[in-house]
Amino acid sequence: MALIEVENLSVHYGAKGQLVRAVEGVSLRVDARESYGLVGESGSGKSTILRAICGLAPMTAGQIRIGGQPVPTPRGRAFSRRVQMVFQDPYASLHPRHTLDRTLSEPLAIHGIGGSDARVVKALEDVGLPANFRFRYPHQLSGGQRQRVAIARALMLEPEILLLDEPTSALDASVQAETLNLLNRLRAERGLTFLMVSHDLAVIDHMCDRVLVMQHGRAVEELTRDQLAGAQMTTDYARTLFDASADRMLGA
Amino acid sequence: MTLLSVKDLRVTFDTEAGKVEAVRGVSFSLGRERLGIVGESGSGKTMTGRSVLRLIRPPGRIEATEMVFDGTDLMAASEREMRALRGQRIAMVMQDPKYSLNPVMKVGAQLTEGLRLRDGMSAKAAREKAIEALEAVQIRGPERVMEAYPHELSGGMGQRVMIAMMLIPNPDLLIADEPTSALDVTVQAEVLSILDGLVRDRGMGLIFISHDLRLVGRFCDRVLVMYKGRVVEELEAKNLMQAQHPYTQGLLNCLPRIGGSRAPLPGLDRAAEWAE
Repeated sequence: MALIEVENLSVHYGAKGQLVRAVEGVSLRVDARESYGLVGESGSGKSTILRAICGLAPMTAGQIRIGGQPVPTPRGRAFSRRVQMVFQDPYASLHPRHTLDRTLSEPLAIHGIGGSDARVVKALEDVGLPANFRFRYPHQLSGGQRQRVAIARALMLEPEILLLDEPTSALDASVQAETLNLLNRLRAERGLTFLMVSHDLAVIDHMCDRVLVMQHGRAVEELTRDQLAGAQMTTDYARTLFDASADRMLGA
Repeated sequence: MTLLSVKDLRVTFDTEAGKVEAVRGVSFSLGRERLGIVGESGSGKTMTGRSVLRLIRPPGRIEATEMVFDGTDLMAASEREMRALRGQRIAMVMQDPKYSLNPVMKVGAQLTEGLRLRDGMSAKAAREKAIEALEAVQIRGPERVMEAYPHELSGGMGQRVMIAMMLIPNPDLLIADEPTSALDVTVQAEVLSILDGLVRDRGMGLIFISHDLRLVGRFCDRVLVMYKGRVVEELEAKNLMQAQHPYTQGLLNCLPRIGGSRAPLPGLDRAAEWAE
């Protein structure tokens, strides 16, 4: 049984009197401990799927099941123990007036988990941040360090599933490499399941076992990692996307 | 023909904690070509671009032995002369459309403001020209975008609006600071071909600032690689893969590749002497 099941998901909303069909009948299944990628251009609905899973976007039709159980609305605490999200922009996703200590201990307080002191210290260590960063504010950190904090925050409740929304697109190449390595290490250590959004095919290829190509809110094609590397796509759009990433090929 | 020549450019910030040198002795010259400046955040690439327009506020200072644009000494020009250059002759596309567009003004009003005030165009003519500029950067439904506020646009749309705005006065030199980092690969290719066309057809000079080494290598003619305020390597873009400097090589190696192995990506071991 797949850990994450999304069936015929549609997300529609009205904006300025016009109906926007952000996601239209998308289905996907992610097995436990798998890493699954969503790729497509902006506006293709890939982030909206992650937001719909978290309850941040309205579900118009379809069903989302985690571990075989339909997700409740509102999502509730049991859900956030299992599923956490890392957002794209580490400059916007951390509270600017909360120290790292407060950011990291807040989920523990909400869920009534004790021993927050030791857990915060451990969390910083796990993502490779010095312990003396604990009482710093986000503005005192670099972009890569902030994204590490965002990852640490998502892991505070020891979830099974991480939803990653372009986790490295705001980062420099070398910092991106460090962050991707960190995510891969954490996934191996903790047996996490990733559902990851990126517009960079090379990042998706490096991180994910399978990838779903999306365009205009619809699923275009699902590819395994080997099919992607071997350029075995059958749809024109997936081909276009692949060709536009030609400089990201091995040997290029 | 040299459009811009910069010799020994320095940008220093006098802070309470002492001097911070963001740019330390950068020299380059630019013809009607595409020059790429790459480096990580904090390498001084944006500051180099802003210095050309003298857009550095105190406590920052710009020093250079020479900074000449098309016969005008930029170091000696008065603020009034600089204002005449900015936008008209040298335009800059800023990194983040979220912070560079006026949030409380409709896109249309922002695009036509310069045409109306500076060129004294009628509202109708300015509107037509603005719509034309939006079409030139491949925006679908320019009429709708004209009536939108910046927060209603996606990052990619905002960036294209910025590029359209900068290209309206037909500048000789365009400084583009990460113009495509907010865009998807397919849109990125479109924007790059727009910029490419401008360099070729109008003979515009382009300084393309980016952290994306592969993109710069594919798109530009020449590349300056910056590290901690210095140019560590200058090379022809087509020879990028044969880069000699360990920093450039490190930047290239830490990128994931399609079909590459899943081993941890090599990190960048920074050697202290690179900053010398």
